[in-house]
Formats: sequence, C-alpha cells, structure tokens
Amino acid sequence: MTEQKTEKRSIYRMLVEYDRRIIYLFIFVLILAPLMQPFSLPIQVSPGTMTYYNVLNGLKKDDVVLVVFDTEFSGYMEIQSGILASIKMMFEHEVKVAIAVAHPEATGIPQLVFDQLKGVMDQHHYIYGQNYINLGYIFPNSASVASTAQDFHSIVRQDAYGRSIEGTFLDNVNTWKDWTLISVYTTGIQSGSIINHYGLRGTPIIVNCIGVMISTQQPYLSSGIYKALLESMRGGAELEYLTSSPGPGLTAMNSFTLGHYMLIIAIILGNIGYFGYRSEMSRKAKEER
Amino acid sequence: MSSFFKSKTVQLTIMILSFLAVFVPYFIDVPAMTTFSTELITIAAIVSAFTLLLALYSQFRRGYTFIQKRKRGWMFKAYMMISIVLMLVFALFGQETGPYNWVMYAIITPLSSVNYSILVFYMASTGARAFRARNTRALLLLITGFIVLFYQAPLTGAFFPQITPVALYFTGTFVAAVAKMFLISVTVGAIVFGMRVLMGKEPTILGFTKEEAS
Repeated sequence: MTEQKTEKRSIYRMLVEYDRRIIYLFIFVLILAPLMQPFSLPIQVSPGTMTYYNVLNGLKKDDVVLVVFDTEFSGYMEIQSGILASIKMMFEHEVKVAIAVAHPEATGIPQLVFDQLKGVMDQHHYIYGQNYINLGYIFPNSASVASTAQDFHSIVRQDAYGRSIEGTFLDNVNTWKDWTLISVYTTGIQSGSIINHYGLRGTPIIVNCIGVMISTQQPYLSSGIYKALLESMRGGAELEYLTSSPGPGLTAMNSFTLGHYMLIIAIILGNIGYFGYRSEMSRKAKEER
Repeated sequence: MSSFFKSKTVQLTIMILSFLAVFVPYFIDVPAMTTFSTELITIAAIVSAFTLLLALYSQFRRGYTFIQKRKRGWMFKAYMMISIVLMLVFALFGQETGPYNWVMYAIITPLSSVNYSILVFYMASTGARAFRARNTRALLLLITGFIVLFYQAPLTGAFFPQITPVALYFTGTFVAAVAKMFLISVTVGAIVFGMRVLMGKEPTILGFTKEEAS
C-alpha cells in the first residue's frame, strides 16, 4: 500500500515537473509522422472561409485584381496554401492579376507561385503582361502605398524584371478605383497602409493572415473594410477543400489537428499533476502535524 | 537663408501645409489639390526610398566602429556587412537566376522558415506548463481555450459541428471587443500625437531638442 502511494505521488510529480523536451519530442513526431505517411482526416469548412470563397467565386473574366504579398518567407510557409488556392481560383476565373510585394523576402514568392500554378495558367492561356504581371517590391512603406492609390503610374513604371509596364493591362489602372479587388496575404507589414489608402476609400479587400493576427484583423472584417478573412493555414486548407485542389494546406492539416489535440492533452495532464501533487502535499503536511 | 529653414516656425508651417495638402483631398474633391497631394506623396515615396541608403550608411558606420573596437558581437557585425555587400554584388547579376536567387532560396528561405516554425515547440511547452486552473478565472480561461483549440483543429468540427457557433461566439464577441478596443486606443493615441506634432509640442520630430524648441 505504501509502495503504491509512493508510486502515485511520483506520477503526479512527474506530470508537474516533466522535462520540456518530452513535449518537443511529441510535437516533432506528431508533425512529422503525418507528413511522411499522409492520411486523410475529414475537415469542416468554417463560415469565414465560405465567405472568402464566395468573394473569389464572384470574380468575372477580365476583372483586375491586385495581389499583395505582405509577408516574410516565414509567414509564407503558413499561408502558402491560401495563396495558392486563391490565385488558382483567380486564374480559373480568368481575371487579370498584378502581384505586388511589401517585403524584400517576398520577392521570391511570385515565381514560386507561378511555377506551382503553371498547369492552370497554361490551361487558361495566361500571357505575361496581358493577363498577369509581377511588379516586385513596390510597397516598401506607407508613402508608396498612398502614392499608388492616388496615381499608380506616378511611382510604378517597371515590373519586377525592369521592363516597362506600358502596354500591359495596367494601362487601365490609375487610381484605387480601378482595382476590382485587392487580395492581401499578410503578416502585418503594410496591411495598415493598404487599409488606409485603399480599403477606407472603398476598394474591396480580402485578406489571408497568419494565425496570431486573426484577432486584430477581426474589427476590419466586422466594419466591412475587409470583404472576407481567410484564417491562416487552416483557412487555406479549407479553401483547398472547397476548390477540390489538395495542396500544402490539406497535407498539413493532419499535423495541425494532432498538434492541437496533443496540446490539449498536455494541458489536461499538467492540471491533473498540479492538483494531484498539491493534494498530496497538503495530505503530507497534515500527516506531519 | 539656412537659418531661415532651420527655424522651428518655418519647419512647422511647412509640415502643417503638407499635412493639409494630403489630408483635405480625402474629404473635399478639388482636382488641383488632389494633383498637388499626389505629387507630394510621390515625392515622399521617393525620398523614403532614399532613406534606405541612409540606413545602409549608418549600419556600416556603426558596424565599422564595432569591429574596430572589437566590441562584443563584432563578428556578427562583420558577417552582416559582408552579407550586405555580397547581396548587392549578387543582385548585379540578376535576381531571377544566379547567386542572388540561390542565396534567397537556399539560405534565406529555409532559415526564415525554421526561425518561425521553431516557435511551435516553445508555444506548446509553455502552454502545457502555464495553463493551470488555479482559480475560477483561470478555469474559465482554460475552458475557453479548450473550446477555441478544439475548434481550430478542423477534425473536431467534422465530428462535432456544435462547437463552431460556440467558438465563433467567443471570437466574435470577447476577442473582437478587445481587438477593437486596442485598435481604437492606438488610433486615438496616433491622432493625439499628430495634433501635438502639428501644435509644435513634439519638437523632437523636427530634430529639435526640447531646450532648442523653447
């Protein structure tokens, strides 16, 4: 009996004082295993993603969309599923897409996107300059965003490759009014400027942001400045599911789900250990008295 | 002449006029004013781009002092300066191919991704250790956290869809209220600060010390 008690005590104590590397190990295995041996788990599409999908689905041929990569490369890893699924939808609707970059690290992202969506671009006969264009790093600060909103050609005269944008579909774009939609993929670098100089004037904006930004972006959604908000990788996966184009989001969702469940289990175990150990201590104190 | 432009009053007047030139066209549509405002913003954007050169200059100046005095961490400064020079040189060979492209995709991309994704280990470990139901408030926080965490895992909604409205209620009310409060505070703060600047009560913005301004 005494031995059993000692054993119980040690379990509670272990649950309180376990080595944090055990958590690291579990997280590592739970993230890696589903990626190495993919399997399919059902998912539910959230109402926010549905709204986002409907906005993109409402685009018509030859609408002009400004895509802004307002993210570092690290952020891209989280929202790449949303980026790929959204731009794929734009290409499928044959809209004209101009890509702008708001962080030096994001200058490499457009090419990655074009490479991964080459199939759909070929299918819909996308021609550089006529249907899509990469403007490069044109949004380094608030002043540049403001400038493009008031007179686009005053500050943007070349694309990312140093070629003149004259003669492209951007000839018809002069101010904030000329964009059908702005689609921002953000970790929060210039998103505030885009809201101030485009959103508040009336250009429709949709946003795909990283997880930690969701709560701060909600007010812009409820006030109507954002037409829709796609929430981090989870939203991207749901969009992939809606568009029947499995990609990095759905692949990562298994790890995402298991990681969340693991965290919940760890918290519960931690609490069991905490209360068990505390009652054990008070019992011990009583016995000593 | 230089003393004229150095005068606080003159600088403040220019600032107020610039502010009005950009601010007023948002509310009153006067074509001439809009054109002037656009020109002014374009000038500001170009001048801002040149500040990059200034940043580069000050980084090199500071880095050089660090290296010369062999201050703690001088090697990182040297590494940074060499990297800047190398990337500038690499960019001359084109950004779509060649060494610049290689550094971007083979070094910066994976390092940046690792730097971000490694946070998951710390967040999970901290979450597991810090969330203790020590009192009623902590218990409420824990329950709310569980609901949101369960909702965030897409599998939960597939088998237990009732969780969605509950989680959305939390994010749409409590979280949204806090976020709005935060944004409103920041905005009001920015307006107050802007007014103080325009009234000349923040002279440091113009490069004056408080003593010089008074």
